[in-house]
Amino acid sequence: MTRGRAKWALALVFGIVLVSLPYWVRDLYQLHLASLIGAYWVLIAGLNLVVGYTGQLSIGHVGLLAVGSYCFAILAGKLGLDPQLSMAICGALGGLVGAVLGLPSLRLPGFYFAMATMAFALIVTELSLAQGDLTGGGTGLSVPGFSAPFDTPWGNYWLILAIGTLITWLTWNVARLMWGRALIAVRDSEVAAASVGVGIFRLKLTVFIFSGVTAGIGGALFASLQSYITPDTFVFEIGLFFFVCIIIGGRGTILGPFIGTVILTALPELVAPLAKFGTFFYGLTLLVVVLLIPEGFGRLVELAVARFSGEPHRSHEVRPDLVRLGAALKEREVAS
Amino acid sequence: MLTVIVSGLAIGAVYAAAALAYNVMYSTSKVLSVTTGHLCMLGGVFGAWFIAGLGLPIPVGLAGAIAVGALFGWITEIVGVRRVLARSDEHLWLLSTLALATMIQQAVGLWWGTEPKPFPRLIPQDFSAGLFDQKYWLPILVVILMAAGLELFYRLTLWGKLFQATSEDAFAARARGIPTDRVRSLSYLLSGAVGGLAGFTAGQLTFAFFALGLSLTLNGFIALAVGGLGSNLGALVGGAGLGLLSAFATYLFGGEYQQTIAVGLLMLVLLVRPEGLFGAKRVRPV
Repeated sequence: MTRGRAKWALALVFGIVLVSLPYWVRDLYQLHLASLIGAYWVLIAGLNLVVGYTGQLSIGHVGLLAVGSYCFAILAGKLGLDPQLSMAICGALGGLVGAVLGLPSLRLPGFYFAMATMAFALIVTELSLAQGDLTGGGTGLSVPGFSAPFDTPWGNYWLILAIGTLITWLTWNVARLMWGRALIAVRDSEVAAASVGVGIFRLKLTVFIFSGVTAGIGGALFASLQSYITPDTFVFEIGLFFFVCIIIGGRGTILGPFIGTVILTALPELVAPLAKFGTFFYGLTLLVVVLLIPEGFGRLVELAVARFSGEPHRSHEVRPDLVRLGAALKEREVAS
Repeated sequence: MLTVIVSGLAIGAVYAAAALAYNVMYSTSKVLSVTTGHLCMLGGVFGAWFIAGLGLPIPVGLAGAIAVGALFGWITEIVGVRRVLARSDEHLWLLSTLALATMIQQAVGLWWGTEPKPFPRLIPQDFSAGLFDQKYWLPILVVILMAAGLELFYRLTLWGKLFQATSEDAFAARARGIPTDRVRSLSYLLSGAVGGLAGFTAGQLTFAFFALGLSLTLNGFIALAVGGLGSNLGALVGGAGLGLLSAFATYLFGGEYQQTIAVGLLMLVLLVRPEGLFGAKRVRPV
């Protein structure tokens, strides 16, 4: 009871800190950074279900991000649609593109799938350069902000916070209930999962489409934060960055990738020398985590919490119930 | 029209070389390393640096480029593959080789610069030779020689037979006293040398460019998957086909849709013949 209460109190404090963030950050740049983390998180939360839970290594989600961003820039900027409505359409388009990408590629085994998603990211860049009338080609497009009441930096931040919370809640519900169990089963052994009645392809496709929707919405938020997008905004390294955030945070948790996103986004901004070596640093982090702690930092934190909270180690020793066994044997003797 | 065919075959030869490097690594370890394209990139960049930057004679530059490729192949095995295979988690090698590929690409980008730089002439030849220019026939010739050399190595030497035994069944080979770990290390050295040599000879076509690795990793893989995993003949045919296809696509539709068409080819082949044109059918283990 007290542990549960402590958890709720912690979550409440965390929520208050996040909501009141615009009032105590020192400058607008830090608020922008927090918004950027939020926009990334909207995408990563969906991707986490694909990479962290289902074990499908999609390294090309930056392509879906680009689709969402361009969709938002074209609808809200060129056609002058309502920004909030455009964002919803971006999510739908992201889901549609996710379905188109997922239908052929999710049938492929691990490395083939990773290569297909990487190729998809390159194709999106190619098409955004080729379709100059629609996307502005190499010169890019300027992106409008959201309309009132979200047109101020803090309004925008609260919008992102609300969407991020909603999507975190959705993924949390998926992860902790039956669906999440099925996803983890598919990750650990597809054959075993299929043998207990999990429809593997449908499950993968559903989760992938969901991640496409979040990528589309995340792309819209990202574009409005960047305020100008070109094909160079969506380099392949960003896709790698999403991927690294999830892997270092730990597969099969939600808190781990969130911490990974916060740290990996904020660190190169706050520590200047890291910015130059940004992508090299992501590669190094990925290598170290894969080789030394493949479960990710989230697992380390979990282990430390279990160690210090003093929860007794549960033993699974099986003892024969000798009294019942004796009674049953006696019954048989009497019967015979 | 002839220009399109010749240049398509030349770039296809580079893809085929990357596919060969994939094959050499895959045969002993069943790992498809993301660093494969970067082996060729290293051959090109270091070849240009040795010859144009340091002013070394061309044979020394060639040996140096091959050595750098082989060294990186070996490092890939030690850092990215050996520990991961020992733990036998099937997806982790993808992550570790991806991390290594990113690191080497960024390191080369920071050191060499992000602009493509010209590669020096290897054989004295006039620039007016047109289609018979060395930048076209050199990669084609070398990749055919490499495929033939690999085939001879597998068939005629004892080490080649050890490679084949390990590729057929690593556990059985180990039981017969073959040091499969050492064979695997050697195969990564060999594939690094293949990649380095290919990158060196194709340098005049592709330029010494740090971002070449990722595109070669992808296109080499497409060539390999189309031709059939594990088959060297398939690698040659797949590479030539992919090169011709993208050259004709560029000729007909302009250069913007090259990648889209290449991936379209991959999807088509995977749908119709999942094992590739020359690949052996594999039974899925349950």
